[in-house]
Amino acid sequence: MKKTKAFLAVALASAMVAGLAGCGSDAAADANAGTAAASSAGEASGAASGSSEMNVMIETPVESLDPQQATDGTSFEVIANYTDGLMQMDADGQAVNALCDHYELSDDGCTYTFYIREDANWSNGTPVTAADFVFAWQRAVDPAVASEYAYMMSDIGQIKNAAEIIAGDMDKSELGVAALDDKTLQVELNVPVSYFLSLLYFPTYYPVNEEFYNSCGDTFATSPETTLSNGAFILDSYEPAATAFHLSKNEDYYDADNVSLSGLSYQVIQDSQQALMSYQTGALDITLVNGEQVDQVKDDSEFMAIGAGYLWYVSPNIAGVPELANLNIRMALTMAINRESITTDVLKDGSEPTYTAVPMDFAAGPDGSDFSEDQTKYSDVCAYDTDAAADYWAKGLEELGITELTLDMVVDADDAPQKVAQVLKEQWETTLPGLTVNLTVEPKKQRVQDMQDGNFELGLTRWGPDYADPMTYLGMWITDNSNNYGLWSNSEYDAIIAECTTGELCTDAEGRWERLYDAEELVMNDAVIFPLYTQCNAMMLSSKVTGVEFHPVALNRVYKNAVKSE
Amino acid sequence: MTRTKAVNPIERVSAYTPEAADFKLKDNAGRLELDENFAAQSFWKDVFIRYFRKASAVIGLLLIVFITFLAIVGPGMNEYTYSGQELSQKNFAPRIKALEKLGIFDGSEKMSTTTGTKTVNYYIEKGLDDVEYWFGSDNFGRDIWTRTWSGARVSLIIAVAAAVIDMVIGMSYGLISGYFGGKVDMVMQRILEIANGIPRLVIVTLLLLVLQPGMITIIFALMLTEWVGMSRIARAEMLKLKEQEFVLASRTLGAGSFFIIFREVLPNIIGPIITQVMFSIPTAIFTEAFLSFVGLGIPVPQCSLGSLISEGFNSFTTHPYQIIPPIVVMALLMLSFNLVADGLREALDPKMKEA
Amino acid sequence: MKKYVLKRVITSIFTLLAILLVLFILMQLMPGSPFNDEKLNDDQRTALYVKYGLDQPIVVQFFKYVGNMFKGDLGVSYNISKNTPISQLIQTRLPISIKIGGAAVGIGAVIGLLLGLIAALKHDTIIDSLCTVISVIGVSVPSYVFALALSYTFGFKLRWFPMLFSQQQMFSSSVLPSVSLSMFTMASIARFTRSEMLEVLGSDYMLLAESKGISGAALIFRHALRNALIPIITVLAPLIVDLMTGSLVVEKIFAIPGVGSLLVNAIQSNDYNVVISLSFIYSAMYIGIMLVVDILYGVIDPRIRLAKKGD
Repeated sequence: MKKTKAFLAVALASAMVAGLAGCGSDAAADANAGTAAASSAGEASGAASGSSEMNVMIETPVESLDPQQATDGTSFEVIANYTDGLMQMDADGQAVNALCDHYELSDDGCTYTFYIREDANWSNGTPVTAADFVFAWQRAVDPAVASEYAYMMSDIGQIKNAAEIIAGDMDKSELGVAALDDKTLQVELNVPVSYFLSLLYFPTYYPVNEEFYNSCGDTFATSPETTLSNGAFILDSYEPAATAFHLSKNEDYYDADNVSLSGLSYQVIQDSQQALMSYQTGALDITLVNGEQVDQVKDDSEFMAIGAGYLWYVSPNIAGVPELANLNIRMALTMAINRESITTDVLKDGSEPTYTAVPMDFAAGPDGSDFSEDQTKYSDVCAYDTDAAADYWAKGLEELGITELTLDMVVDADDAPQKVAQVLKEQWETTLPGLTVNLTVEPKKQRVQDMQDGNFELGLTRWGPDYADPMTYLGMWITDNSNNYGLWSNSEYDAIIAECTTGELCTDAEGRWERLYDAEELVMNDAVIFPLYTQCNAMMLSSKVTGVEFHPVALNRVYKNAVKSE
Repeated sequence: MTRTKAVNPIERVSAYTPEAADFKLKDNAGRLELDENFAAQSFWKDVFIRYFRKASAVIGLLLIVFITFLAIVGPGMNEYTYSGQELSQKNFAPRIKALEKLGIFDGSEKMSTTTGTKTVNYYIEKGLDDVEYWFGSDNFGRDIWTRTWSGARVSLIIAVAAAVIDMVIGMSYGLISGYFGGKVDMVMQRILEIANGIPRLVIVTLLLLVLQPGMITIIFALMLTEWVGMSRIARAEMLKLKEQEFVLASRTLGAGSFFIIFREVLPNIIGPIITQVMFSIPTAIFTEAFLSFVGLGIPVPQCSLGSLISEGFNSFTTHPYQIIPPIVVMALLMLSFNLVADGLREALDPKMKEA
Repeated sequence: MKKYVLKRVITSIFTLLAILLVLFILMQLMPGSPFNDEKLNDDQRTALYVKYGLDQPIVVQFFKYVGNMFKGDLGVSYNISKNTPISQLIQTRLPISIKIGGAAVGIGAVIGLLLGLIAALKHDTIIDSLCTVISVIGVSVPSYVFALALSYTFGFKLRWFPMLFSQQQMFSSSVLPSVSLSMFTMASIARFTRSEMLEVLGSDYMLLAESKGISGAALIFRHALRNALIPIITVLAPLIVDLMTGSLVVEKIFAIPGVGSLLVNAIQSNDYNVVISLSFIYSAMYIGIMLVVDILYGVIDPRIRLAKKGD
């Protein structure tokens, strides 16, 4: 007995030693198996080899490839690589026909009839039909599916009965879409929606083949076998939340002649320094660059800043904090912010200081100009002016009868917001005597919950546009909107927004545009939010690659027309 | 204690009051040496003498004193504050005017960019002759010297807290569980498994989400999680020793359980215990750093060595000098803790007396 | 002994169930909700709660979960990978974490043991100090700094190893992450081995063994090391679990699809099912390893008789 134990002890010690070798050989075996699998999978492993395959870096894994369930930009980008909607975005972000061959709009602006291309097929050979759209759109509003983007159909798309179905008051079959025949789709709207066509490239509006969907059971869109392509590429390696996956060109795509890339190889890299180093070794063709690395690349011809559409702003809790209900205090806070310094000294990624409630470069008006092109429009109520800020501050404190004020600001636990918040704190505390700002850093989900519950004083938050119209922002500050965190309420404002959404102005593009400016002015004059900057993403794009299209709305990067030269 | 007094014959010798005549007649030096070797002093005086005989232990202690001193006065040694930003002076390389002539710490840095390496000196570029940042400035233009030392202050507090938690909670828990064994051990170990079987991150994050982030919360979080490792060591050692003869002897002499645990066994396992304390300190400091990394550590713009390391990490490939001061202070702190621990262990361990 | 092991296994199962219940309660305490996107309105949120059964009382949820678990169903993810069965997520990710973590433990334990042994045998010499310095660096530099430094040197500059993890080159791309993860283990094992060995080497039975004429390697490995193993195993055991369940930062740096980052993301986005399932796997591994360690105590050191009382 004693001997066995002694032996065991020695065996244990040697097992520790052997552990190394053991793990090593296991891994080696796996490596072989991996190579074998990869070579059988064809191009899947040929990441950096000289084909016209593009290596793309993304920051976060895909959350969902189900077009009606996905909500994040990365997922949208990947879904759009292999799925076409009725419309797709052109290089300028305008909607152009994709699966739709041509369409008709009724005179009252409420009924669209789409004729689907005859040569549009799914990758399993079945044709794309109007029924696929009906099935997908009904899924989007089905309470059982509980799609987070269902409101794209109801509030924004104004499709008939959508709101009632989402609320559970009607069956999904009553949705205002119908397949007149295999290739004809009719859509009924409650009111004319001027930007309706630009919604059609949004993945929530993408078709899903019912038969295929049912054959996948619960596993739809979780692997290459359970996805169906009708777009430029085909997903050929993927697993949920994968850090690397691959798409190949779809040879049967109706527009295959114009697709030059042989494939797309995606790599998730969360650490920006690693990403840049990988890019430098040539393993990536496109990568995001973090603010700290911009110094390293700013002289490089491959460096560029792309508008991301997001507006970052501070939302004061107007209803919940008596001091912030004071307009002078709010004016002082917004005038004390040096937005220029935040973007050039801290973010450095090309983000632009913003002095309007609607960010720049995403919504073009009837005359084709950007809604927020003129950034000096509200310069008397939103600008960097320390003297004016101090005056407002003194006046505000006097009205409140106090000399000191401590405010809390909730901030996301991510890198950029924390940086911006630290600068804001410093700027406010230096310019406004007697002010102390404490920062509460929280994970994003909790920050959002706190703000929705009114459990905050100041909140640093952002909003990304869902569609190319100022309403995606201005719609937020109507009374009782869940994103109107400060609970600001103004009946005149509510009236203007109603007028522009469902009222008489929805067919009068120019008149509507003017009224939207009136609405924005109300928000700015009352300092309902303190806009900070329009976010840009700094990135490196290999000089070998041309034709990648970047958009601030819906699909951030489109590769269909990209070309990679040798 | 009473027992030791009763049986110690030398006690009586030292109780003898020397008369003036003794000093005239006897060889005083020889007598002193005799005293030191064989007798007399209380346990702690003994420990004290043995500790200070070891050079490395003394160096370690001096280092800790030195770092603590700088952590107290360091932030006040120049005009900067830990939170004061000067965005026009961000990412300045270290510059110490007194050393400039030697070609080091002159404020220039080599930057490798995608278009080649270049040497830049922002002090000269911006014509700031009088400005100096001894350790450089970070990406908000805050002085790294000031931040390093105020960070060290936070980390030292966390280190002390962790050590105390380990000693008080972890050690007692493990010793008691191991000594009593049987059902007591079974229950105590299951409680421990429940407490420790849940990933630390889950508990700590939850705690910090529910409570207000800050030093007290961090220490409280550490209290919930840090004692486990120590208690396991203490238990393992107890299991090893409790069947040994000296424990039996003590029990036969009528010693109570707690006397045996803390007076008889504890001195014999002081080595591994101190080693464990030494390791719980960096674990605690890094737990805090990890919390900073996920945004739940010490609230910005306050800092700790850990949060400074994770901040500097973001500039690792661009401005490596930003991560060096906190890492060096951290390493020195760890080195000195280790040296002190080693010294203490040898000084405290009765078995090592002759070494 | 058999009886003891059986008893321990049964109590372990109950411990695990207790942990599961605690996890459920903790999830209830967690502020925020998994469906807290700014773009959701209250109706939709309610619909989502109903869809995932989160509107039911916690006790019902608990028993449902336990019932499903025995059928191998761990539920689906709510938001980090929408509607994906968690078992599917874990199946692909856990083996990767275990491999990389296991290699790290192996490297750390072997080098640490050797360093500690050498340091103890050459007590108070330059070699001893050198070992001390190495282990001090090992504990005071966090693994992610090692990771980036290694990646910069061996991945970017020298190009010996790939900088990013890839399934196709599993072995070569695991080297850098494993090495950077192993540093802390190495350092702690080295320190513990040293202090334990010093103690053992000074003890009477070593003197006895030596006087019996046993010498050299046999003395060190059969007599000294064996006695030093208990505390070393005690230290190593939780490290094994920690390393095998992944490390957020190292996974982030090397783009490893492991479970560490999954857990952090899940906590931050309130993905309850993923948090519970991953925590549960962690607990099961932890308790399993603790069980093995407890049994090993008795095997390695005959003086420890665990089952003496109470049985």
